[in-house]
Amino acid sequence: MTGDIDLKEKPKDEKKSAKTETKTGTEDTVIEFQNVTKQYSANIEAVHDVSFCISAGEFISLVGPSGAGKSTLIKLLTCEEKPTSGKIVVAGRDITELKKKELPYFRRKVGVIFQDFKLLPKKTVYENVAFALEVCDAPDDEVKDKVPKIIDLVGLTRRAFSFTEELSGGEKQRVSIARALVHNPKLLIADEPTGNLDPVSTWEIVELLFKINKQGTIVMLATHDREVVDSLQKRVITMKEGKLVSDQQKGKYNL
Amino acid sequence: MKQFFTTIKRITKTASISLWRNRWLSLAATLIMVLTLFTVSFFVCLLIMVNSTTTMLRSKVDISVYFNDSVSNDQIFKIENTLLARSDVKSVDYISKEKALEVWKKQNSDNTQLRDIISSDYNPLPRSLDIKTEQPEDLDAVNDFLSDKDYKPLIKEISYRKNKDLVDRLIKITNFIKYVGWTLSILFVAISVLIIYNTIRLTIYARSDEIDIMKLVGAGDWYVQGPFIVEGIGYGVVAAIISSLILYLTAKFSLPAAGNYLGVANVSAVVANISYWAIILSQLVVGIALGTGCSVWAVRKHLK
Repeated sequence: MTGDIDLKEKPKDEKKSAKTETKTGTEDTVIEFQNVTKQYSANIEAVHDVSFCISAGEFISLVGPSGAGKSTLIKLLTCEEKPTSGKIVVAGRDITELKKKELPYFRRKVGVIFQDFKLLPKKTVYENVAFALEVCDAPDDEVKDKVPKIIDLVGLTRRAFSFTEELSGGEKQRVSIARALVHNPKLLIADEPTGNLDPVSTWEIVELLFKINKQGTIVMLATHDREVVDSLQKRVITMKEGKLVSDQQKGKYNL
Repeated sequence: MKQFFTTIKRITKTASISLWRNRWLSLAATLIMVLTLFTVSFFVCLLIMVNSTTTMLRSKVDISVYFNDSVSNDQIFKIENTLLARSDVKSVDYISKEKALEVWKKQNSDNTQLRDIISSDYNPLPRSLDIKTEQPEDLDAVNDFLSDKDYKPLIKEISYRKNKDLVDRLIKITNFIKYVGWTLSILFVAISVLIIYNTIRLTIYARSDEIDIMKLVGAGDWYVQGPFIVEGIGYGVVAAIISSLILYLTAKFSLPAAGNYLGVANVSAVVANISYWAIILSQLVVGIALGTGCSVWAVRKHLK
């Protein structure tokens, strides 16, 4: 994908949509938002008519002030919320039509990390990562084989048997990255992953995300950090008041 | 297959950790379940016992007709034959004065004063016919037959009422036990349903972070819901074991007293109708059903 997006006329979606044109992706499109609108109640419209495509191997920064709809967009992508109208196509399937039973399998293909890490405090680093595999029916030998490798990838082998509550913020975020990666996801979503971290840890995490992206995983980074976005020199999607206001290759944080 | 056992193992592990962490809550849920199971099975056992006692007594109920001394033996034999001709009469025994004296002496063997009031020289004991019927219900018909005015001058007394009263009393007790048993059972089942439901709900809240993370990493439904259902089954199993134990001890220490009260000398005959294994098994089944039902209900409602 080189940045040019085909503009085609497409029939309107069943429900409603102000615009008629829909952006459709090129061959290697993995994720496609088609006129997605999410309304929480009559007055609150978190996301309004958003359309964009993501190709394989991309690194995208999602920026925008609080309340711009970044979090909702992420929730839509992880299937925690269903859009009021529009389609979200991932690997050729409209995930808004996923059945309840298919949801766990979809989630295993999408890794998510958060500002507050969401780790189990009474468990060790190893157990936290193993947990993600265990609850997905992975056999014991697969757990034993995979977990140390992933922990090594995020550089925590030395602390593998420490309890997560004993770790620093940066280390905790590494654990949550390890946990997100354990299913070999196609997409890694990072929702403000550096919001709670000091500058040094922030750069370590960003570097790690970069490394993961180089190995072929799509990374979507939602952030407020101007410096990080500017230095990345990657695609930047800017949202404001629920609308997509700019989508630039090698973009800058311009708010 | 191996995968299945791995899953069961992991779910059981999660459930036992959760049970232990919320041990006071688990204790409360288990205790109320014990109370429920014990109440229900206690009344069931009581009913079985009283029922079999009633049956036993019923078979013993008979009519004795005592004749005036002025009546001739021929007249008595005539009545005996008339009775024997009836289809509902099983047997008729003639008790002569001598036999009546024998019975009297036997009954009062430990009270010599009373025993010696009557002797073969002075025997006021009346001759009588002991009548047994095919069915206890037929006694009424026989009683009516004998109460006919033709026989009135001959008969001194019909001792039917006395035994009938005892049976009637037992039937009344049975009905009372049924009534109280049902009321208490329903009450306790309702209470335990509410408490177990709330306990599971609280453990769901206590583990809500963990559940969120499980869903986040794509845990299958079984991994999310399974531990709570296993927890419910756990309450049921533990409660059934404790309740069976209490029931056994209760039976062991209170049966002799109960036997005395009901006037049944041979308590073991009454208890023989109760199978301990059947009771333990049904307690397990009821306990597991209750625990599982409440868990599923709570999980459905609070784990969307």
